[in-house]
Amino acid sequence: MRMRWTAVSTLVAALAVAWAASIQGQAPAAPPAARQAPAAPRPAAAPAARPAAGARTDDGRPNLNGIWQAVNTANWDIEAHQAEAGPHNDIMGAWGSQPAGMGIVEGGTIPYKPEALKKKQDNFKNRMLVKVSNDPHRFDTGDTELQCFRPGVPRANYMPFPFQIFQNRDQILMVYEYKGSMRTIFMDKHQDAPVDSWMGWSNGRWEGDTLVVDVTGFNGHQWLDRAGNFLSDTAHVVERWTPRGRDHMMYEAMIEDPAVFTRPWKISFPVYRRLEPNIQLLEFNCVPFVEEMMYTPLGLYNPPNRSSR
Amino acid sequence: MRMRTRILWVTTALTGATVVVALSMAVLVAQAPAGGKKALPQTATSTDAAIKASEDAFKKSLELKNYTVPKKPWGEPDLSGVWLTATYTRLQRPEELGDKEFFTEAEAIAEYKKAAESDAEVDPRTVHYDWKEYAMDAWQGGATPNLRTSLIVDPKNGRLPPLTPEAQQRRAAAAAAAKQQDPMLGIRTFGNLYTRCVLGLGALPLVRGGMPGADSAAAAAGVTAEAFFFQSPGYVTIVMQSNNDVRIIPTDNRAHAPSQVRQWLGDSRGHWEGNTLVVETTNFNDPKPAAHFLGSTDSLSIVERFTRVGPNTMRYQYTVTDPRTWTRPWSVDATMPRIDPSMIYEFACHEQNYGLINVVTGTQIRFREGTRDLRGNGAPE
Repeated sequence: MRMRWTAVSTLVAALAVAWAASIQGQAPAAPPAARQAPAAPRPAAAPAARPAAGARTDDGRPNLNGIWQAVNTANWDIEAHQAEAGPHNDIMGAWGSQPAGMGIVEGGTIPYKPEALKKKQDNFKNRMLVKVSNDPHRFDTGDTELQCFRPGVPRANYMPFPFQIFQNRDQILMVYEYKGSMRTIFMDKHQDAPVDSWMGWSNGRWEGDTLVVDVTGFNGHQWLDRAGNFLSDTAHVVERWTPRGRDHMMYEAMIEDPAVFTRPWKISFPVYRRLEPNIQLLEFNCVPFVEEMMYTPLGLYNPPNRSSR
Repeated sequence: MRMRTRILWVTTALTGATVVVALSMAVLVAQAPAGGKKALPQTATSTDAAIKASEDAFKKSLELKNYTVPKKPWGEPDLSGVWLTATYTRLQRPEELGDKEFFTEAEAIAEYKKAAESDAEVDPRTVHYDWKEYAMDAWQGGATPNLRTSLIVDPKNGRLPPLTPEAQQRRAAAAAAAKQQDPMLGIRTFGNLYTRCVLGLGALPLVRGGMPGADSAAAAAGVTAEAFFFQSPGYVTIVMQSNNDVRIIPTDNRAHAPSQVRQWLGDSRGHWEGNTLVVETTNFNDPKPAAHFLGSTDSLSIVERFTRVGPNTMRYQYTVTDPRTWTRPWSVDATMPRIDPSMIYEFACHEQNYGLINVVTGTQIRFREGTRDLRGNGAPE
């Protein structure tokens, strides 16, 4: 295994020259001994000690380390959609309204099976349904985002929050500002998902300069957006992250879910590096933000009125 | 590998009564071992075997001198892996030990053995779950003996420094409010950040000290006490198994976030001093009605020092400063053993926090019972 990786790395390192020169147009690929040196300097505000976002990692892979964000409105609806007033525009006005968007679904339409399309439409009607119970029926409710549940994959990648990629040879860690959700992408030891989860189980590999991530092991509660698009627990997502330059990459996800769709289908959009010199992932720990909404109906949020008994 | 269980452990002092009710609830979780056909190692089920293994690891770690820490390809010392934060060593030195800072090797092993055996015991009167069954006792997970008699090394007596007058008042006011307002009656006034799934156990500081003999594994040493250190150029990122709390630590010593940006886990900044990662954390939020570590406030700051002193041993020192809580800073010197596998699992706590409903509902019922009892008018509902 190791030997194969070494061979691949050598090949990739050799290709690095062409890639760095042709695509980056800067920071000519360093010889192996000098790869640790910072590449082209970042904007002046970045302190010299900060590792530069060089084109390549020490093992010759595209360097995806950094803070990234999609700039689109797919979190409202991954299909094309017009601007709409929000569900509570009586108090939320323009704050709570939905921006329009061209969608990220290739071909425009999600190939739902008829019964699944019905469920998607029901989901939309019930998108703000919150009905907390202490049994699995708590998941027969509205959008997971509303209740501060983990977003799953691919949704985490196009929520309107930044996310950070930490990369080393064996594993890639992705941390999402929304809820501080995280996933580990195993580059070294692939295995079947040992257990179902919200974020799925990610096995990754490099195909040239594309990071390909095979994601399975979903728990079946994932919503793809606020419009009620959804995946089941048989979903299989194959992501492709392809750098197009130092500061942006194309994201694609092939989605296969025989319980829900008639055929595999694809989403794609660019993600951009956040270039602010002081950018950092901050906490969006939304649990305290949803407790009133979730637990008031059960009489658990505030102390109940004792005199009413 | 281990089964993991979300533990909700609540101690509630009921109004007007000295009754203490401990509700232990385990909700879900179920992390089946990968390829789960393998039998559990003997250390997971046999106290004797586990104690022997811990002793061996302990002795091995004592033998290691002048360990040369491996470097990451980009030149930084390699701290990566999963480090266990569970320990039976108390935060504060038992008063009967006076100024005795260290055990002998034999005493340390005897202390560990005593703590592990007591942890492994099950009191049928109090047990709701036998933690052993989930392989969650610390002796099953790799906790090791310790020469130190307490985690605290400064002050010299191994004890927390005196509280400030403000902190004493805060504590008294909280106790009085607890009597008047029945603060455990609603989630909002509940105050237990762990049960609410706001925070996991022990993300900062990582090693907090055990209470050997306590009837909860969480209190005895620590549960889901794995800290996953992920290293990439310019960052050390710590992902806790408990609640998957994430701390992103840039190691370029950049300036802290503006003081208006307050966070549950503060704002961490790191730099390397030789082979030691030094991390300063400030900008803690005001978590009322809960509090930060040991009742501290948003004035808290913590400086941590991580030094890998052996292939499987991380020295972990930290200094706690909160001028609104303690009359002087205090410091800890601990170690964390490295354990396999080098990964953590998803810990979706809030998503399936069935326990919170049960705990708060149960507490409400107990409260009503308690009230009725106090008025002497009837049996529990």
